Amino acid sequence: MIYRIRHLTRYEYEKPVSLCYNMAYLLPRDTHYQSCRSSQVRISPVQTTGQRRTDYFGNTVYYFSLEQPHHHLEVDVTSEIQILDSKYARNMELDLDFGATCGQALVQLQDSRELSLLEAREFVLDSPMVRASQALRDYAKPSFNRNRPLLSAVRELTHRIYTDFTYDPDSTHVATPLSEVLKKRAGVCQDFAHLAVGCLRSLGFPARYVSGYLETLPPPGQEKLVGSDASHAWFAVFSPGEGWLEFDPTNDNMPAENHITTSWGRDYGDVSPLKGVFFDGGDKQKLTVSVDVARI
Amino acid sequence: MENVAPQMADPLEYSPGSGGYDEVYGDQQNPREHWRYLLEGFRSLGPQGIRERQMKAERILRDDGASYNSGALGISSTWPLDPVPLVLESEEWGAIEAGLLERAELLDLLLKDLYGERTLIRHGVIPPELLFSHGGFLRACQGISVPGEHQLLLYAADMIRGLDGRMRVVGDRTQAPSGAGYALENRTVMSRVLPSLFRDSHVHRLSLFFQSLRVQLNQVAGHITSDMPRIVILTPGSLNETYFEHGYLANYLGFPLVQGSDLLVSNGYLWMKSLGGLERVDVVLRRVDDYYCDPVELKADSHLGVPGLLEVVRSGRVVVANPLGSGVLENPALMRFMPQIAQHLLGRELRLDSVETYWCGIPQDMAYVVENIDRLVIKPTFRKKGVQSLFGHRLSAAQRAQVLDQIRRYPMHVVAQEYMQPSVTPSWRQGELCARPTLLRSFAVASQGSYSVMPGGLTRVGEAADALNLSNSDGAISKDTWILASEPEKKISLRDVDQQPRPQGGGRSAVFPCRVVENLFWMGRYAERTEAASRLLRTVFVQLNSTYEMPEDSRNLLLRSVTELTTTYPGFTLVDAELLAEPESELMAVVLDAERNGSVTANLNAFVRCADQVREMLSADTQRLINDLRDEVGDLKELLQHGLASAPEEALDPLVTSLLALSGLWHESMVRGLGWRFMDMGRRVEKALQTVRLLRAALVQELPEQEQGRVLEAVLVSLETLMTYRRRSRSGNDMVRGLELLLCDAGNPRSVFYQLRQLQQHLAELPAAAHGVGLAAEDRYVLEAATAIQLVDLEQLTTADEESGQRVALDQLLARLQHLLEETSGQVSGKYFDQIKVHQQLVNTAWDDEL
Repeated sequence: MIYRIRHLTRYEYEKPVSLCYNMAYLLPRDTHYQSCRSSQVRISPVQTTGQRRTDYFGNTVYYFSLEQPHHHLEVDVTSEIQILDSKYARNMELDLDFGATCGQALVQLQDSRELSLLEAREFVLDSPMVRASQALRDYAKPSFNRNRPLLSAVRELTHRIYTDFTYDPDSTHVATPLSEVLKKRAGVCQDFAHLAVGCLRSLGFPARYVSGYLETLPPPGQEKLVGSDASHAWFAVFSPGEGWLEFDPTNDNMPAENHITTSWGRDYGDVSPLKGVFFDGGDKQKLTVSVDVARI
Repeated sequence: MENVAPQMADPLEYSPGSGGYDEVYGDQQNPREHWRYLLEGFRSLGPQGIRERQMKAERILRDDGASYNSGALGISSTWPLDPVPLVLESEEWGAIEAGLLERAELLDLLLKDLYGERTLIRHGVIPPELLFSHGGFLRACQGISVPGEHQLLLYAADMIRGLDGRMRVVGDRTQAPSGAGYALENRTVMSRVLPSLFRDSHVHRLSLFFQSLRVQLNQVAGHITSDMPRIVILTPGSLNETYFEHGYLANYLGFPLVQGSDLLVSNGYLWMKSLGGLERVDVVLRRVDDYYCDPVELKADSHLGVPGLLEVVRSGRVVVANPLGSGVLENPALMRFMPQIAQHLLGRELRLDSVETYWCGIPQDMAYVVENIDRLVIKPTFRKKGVQSLFGHRLSAAQRAQVLDQIRRYPMHVVAQEYMQPSVTPSWRQGELCARPTLLRSFAVASQGSYSVMPGGLTRVGEAADALNLSNSDGAISKDTWILASEPEKKISLRDVDQQPRPQGGGRSAVFPCRVVENLFWMGRYAERTEAASRLLRTVFVQLNSTYEMPEDSRNLLLRSVTELTTTYPGFTLVDAELLAEPESELMAVVLDAERNGSVTANLNAFVRCADQVREMLSADTQRLINDLRDEVGDLKELLQHGLASAPEEALDPLVTSLLALSGLWHESMVRGLGWRFMDMGRRVEKALQTVRLLRAALVQELPEQEQGRVLEAVLVSLETLMTYRRRSRSGNDMVRGLELLLCDAGNPRSVFYQLRQLQQHLAELPAAAHGVGLAAEDRYVLEAATAIQLVDLEQLTTADEESGQRVALDQLLARLQHLLEETSGQVSGKYFDQIKVHQQLVNTAWDDEL
């Protein structure tokens, strides 16, 4: 399966911006299950400097600056992603009754000198947006017991979040703290991913935040609308022996061939699609985003 | 307590302190050899002599502006220096030096490893959490490297000597270690106040350390540019605790002192915004913590850094020293693993021990800490403002419970160290030598494939005998540190650079940021503004207190002039008979109210703030005068407490005198560079504006002849032109003669025309780069103003309208002049000064807190 993804971000400013410096996490990385065949960034007005590099987590980040006054900023990213066949081996129906039990996982994380385990321990720790708490622990606890396979427990946690929480774009914004999401029982994909990550970390398991895209299909008999897709977020958990496995609490499944990964990190803050600082530009700005995920 | 001395005790008899190891006695009955000369020296000075030296030292420190800002905003106190140095003999120092050198080497390797391969984690030498939970580990800095052999260019260690007489490291400083500049200032002062004692003690000099630093930075820059490198010192600004040192080092090393907003990332390079345009920067010696250095990739709401800096560093086009991310080495939990880290990276154990350290991130350690908290010192792994070390044995039950709770909740963020009773040294307190706990900070700089350790350092002693925190913010007092040369006076061929700053070598012209020039311009303006207001107020006070009572109209006119000149509206411009009849409280407010824009105090404060921003540009004499002014603002309140009854005109005298001294100093001893030019432009613009304002307020309204004369005289006195006025021939109309002197006279250095002439000259000398073809707007404004004055018909100007009694033509001329002067200032600001802007974030990252 090959996808072409177009992600268009446009800022319009009240007054001209004299100068801006930005970082874009919009270029999909390679993973075990996908390979990025090509990607290109077009910026309007044309950027003064631009540099692509690999970050600490192995993500592709694009750094750019605009040093001429501009009224708008448009970042237009097109990439072609091949989903590798191996991804078909897993799907949401998969019986997850295998792998290390929760108890074993905790012991191995503690004792093992194996590199992947040592490295995974970074993702047990608090990160700026996701901090372990008693409330998260209490919420997660019922799904986890010592003798249950970790993956099975995580699958159930994913399902519970899907069931217990309402998808509501108006309930939260980028910086809504997790405690509030937990209280409101509502949020968007980013909140649900953070929630699951926070639950797992509160119990001592390594978890990371994954950002990417999900191909959506139009209702039967209807044409798919241009720009109707959206960027998406889910999470991954590390199970000793099995490695990192992904779960999507917004859709109650395990990401399969229609999930395309852009980047991952400790939380949204590590991989926010476009961040930066600018000078002038007035007080107000208008942001429009459109995403298309198309099979080719 | 040791300072409860028997009654007839000899204040110069230093007896060993109770408790800690005594630096003077060690384990002996008598003072050790290397202390004897010093103690004898103090004995022969006697208490009175020591007191005198101490006062002289205080005076020098104050005149040098040596201060430490602490506590509330803007509270700065003179750097405290104990006249008794810490003395160490050469052999013992040799061992410490070797230990520090080795430790610096190790930390350098450690830094490379933590931001590179992380073999320490891969091989299980340190737990991953030790690194990954630390706020100083900046993931964005992965893989960044400084060209050359070393990553860590500067290093400082805090050391305490324990009961067993061994020095141990209690803290590592690897971000932007402070104190080296203070150590140098201490040395400079000590060699001046105790010259013969210092000379005959054969103390190792400090200059080599700073030369090594300069050489090292130039070498690093050599990897980036083949030109003469541009090296800058980045400071968080004048509110920082150690701002004095930033300017001091900038001067000593010959590097410009810049703030984040003085720098700009453009086209992939780092630039300094200077008056002549952008100047490329090759090396940044930073005094800003790394996390604050770049709002794009690090702390998004920081205004102390430079947006985009990290990307320039990454591309290798600028070097930041110490490298961004080096704060990770300050994690005291690393000390827990130092022996194993040393084995792994160096293949041997360190010679210099660290204090016994426990990290609560390890369950066994945490259990030990909880059990033994009474004898431990509790510290956060990541230093934050306002978070202090806690001493277990001093905790109340409630505090202990709180600490234990903190440990249980965030074990990884807590470290505990065995409490080491610090050694004691003699300190001069209330006229006697007392034993005080002692902490030594030593400095190392990368040099020629290894490190070079400063032979000396910054010693601090507790204010009280039982002080625990020996930091400046806790009232500790500093000492010079004397390492005695083993042979009598090795006449090292080093020039005596300890004493005087040397300019940066090479032919590069002195360049400084626009901000500096802007502050000089405003210093000039505020100085004139203060002087004009003080002079007028003085005159008004005299008139109000005069035995010959002034007619109401002229009196009110003068009062209104006060408001108009100082722009402390509404003031006396209100039609308020009561206020005009009882002007005292309003007049006092115009002098004293710091919150009131335009008051004498507010202007002086603004002046001092500008001066603080450019302290490194000001001569010692200028700094001394500024100190006097600072004091005089403080004194005003006291002097004026009885209002008009306290001869307020005299209270303002010292102020006016200091301001005159300042302008004399600027005139006589400031090099005619761009800095001077802008300052003088500020003065000229302001002086002209003030005169125009005063004339407009006081002389537009025609008064009966008698009264008119008196008001005119008051104006002339206030503008210091009365003598000339009286000396000149008495023929003709008084007003005409007065206005001629104040407005048109090219020979009167207080006339408006004189200021305009000076301004024209300055404008012509400004960098050509900023000029276009033909006359620039500011040139036109000044030309128009000067011409208008030259074309003036004084007779017509002084003629009042019969109905209104107003001198309409004069009013129009002055209004136009005022407008032109204000526009000139605006143009100059817009063109030459950087309009500092605050950045916004594309996405609001309110969560972006340190962990």
